[in-house]
Amino acid sequence: MPEGFHDVAWLARTRAEGDVAAWLERLPYARYIGVTATPDASGDGLIFHLEPREHNVGNVLLPALHGGVVAAFMETAGTLDLMLSAREPRLPRVVDFSIDYLRTARVVTTHARCQLLREGRRLANVQVTAWQEAEDQPVATARLHLVLGAPEPNDA
Amino acid sequence: MSASDESRQESAAAHRSPERWRAGLTRFVNVIPHTRELGLEVLEVAPPRVHMRLPWRDELLGDTERGLVHGGVLTMLLDTVCGSAVLCGLPAPEVCPTLDLRVDHYRPALAGQPIMAEARVLRVTGAMVFTEGTLWQDPQRPIARGIGNFVRLGPRNTPPGFAEALFGEDDHA
Repeated sequence: MPEGFHDVAWLARTRAEGDVAAWLERLPYARYIGVTATPDASGDGLIFHLEPREHNVGNVLLPALHGGVVAAFMETAGTLDLMLSAREPRLPRVVDFSIDYLRTARVVTTHARCQLLREGRRLANVQVTAWQEAEDQPVATARLHLVLGAPEPNDA
Repeated sequence: MSASDESRQESAAAHRSPERWRAGLTRFVNVIPHTRELGLEVLEVAPPRVHMRLPWRDELLGDTERGLVHGGVLTMLLDTVCGSAVLCGLPAPEVCPTLDLRVDHYRPALAGQPIMAEARVLRVTGAMVFTEGTLWQDPQRPIARGIGNFVRLGPRNTPPGFAEALFGEDDHA
């Protein structure tokens, strides 16, 4: 099997190396909207970033980012952050997603930080906060429930 | 829905034919850079219900190995289709930002096939528009369901000429 999310060894190795860039490379829609991740300078987690690309605009009058693109960014961030912070290498699947829009997301770089509130044996709850200029002025908060898939053997 | 709500929605929609609404919402999704570039199509509008189609392209992928659509695409599509339904569920088109959106993922969407989207307005109040939307590839097997609540900013915060821009300069409704 080629390297990728369903290759258990590859998933474990990229996770151990914290190689979130390798994960993002394999997510075409996340690449299309311009999602990246960097280590959080003030902690041991990650900060995710969404580039202000022209095709991410949803309102040309304000102008503002498409709310659905901001949601897709936060869903991506929550999923990858969980893959990194879970107790073992797992491939999560989003069950449901909820987002509250707090402020207009202008066409500048957007950041997101995630918090794993609960990791059970089968389910996880992840909270995501997105901001632009200042983290204490979030543009949106989101919550994901994810099912944690069991790692599959290579010959599955 | 009470009789007065029903008649209010009908009077809003009665101005314009379904074909005029389809043209108006087509213009709307073509003005939004994200949906224009993805080629989102408006198939049918029967106020306060909207039916759209997102054609397949490889950028929509989330799981390349299994050929599955990125979950974020589905959230984006539900936000767009619910937000479009809002326009035709109001007495007159108003700017209505999304307050919140909740998406339930029933099953993965498959690569290589278009995604169909339908949304409708459930209730309009002075402050809010409540909507719901559904996505599918096979009509018997829904992919995701969304509940989107939108804030009415009111005519005062809607740019002058918003409806005219939506329906074209020759709109006499």
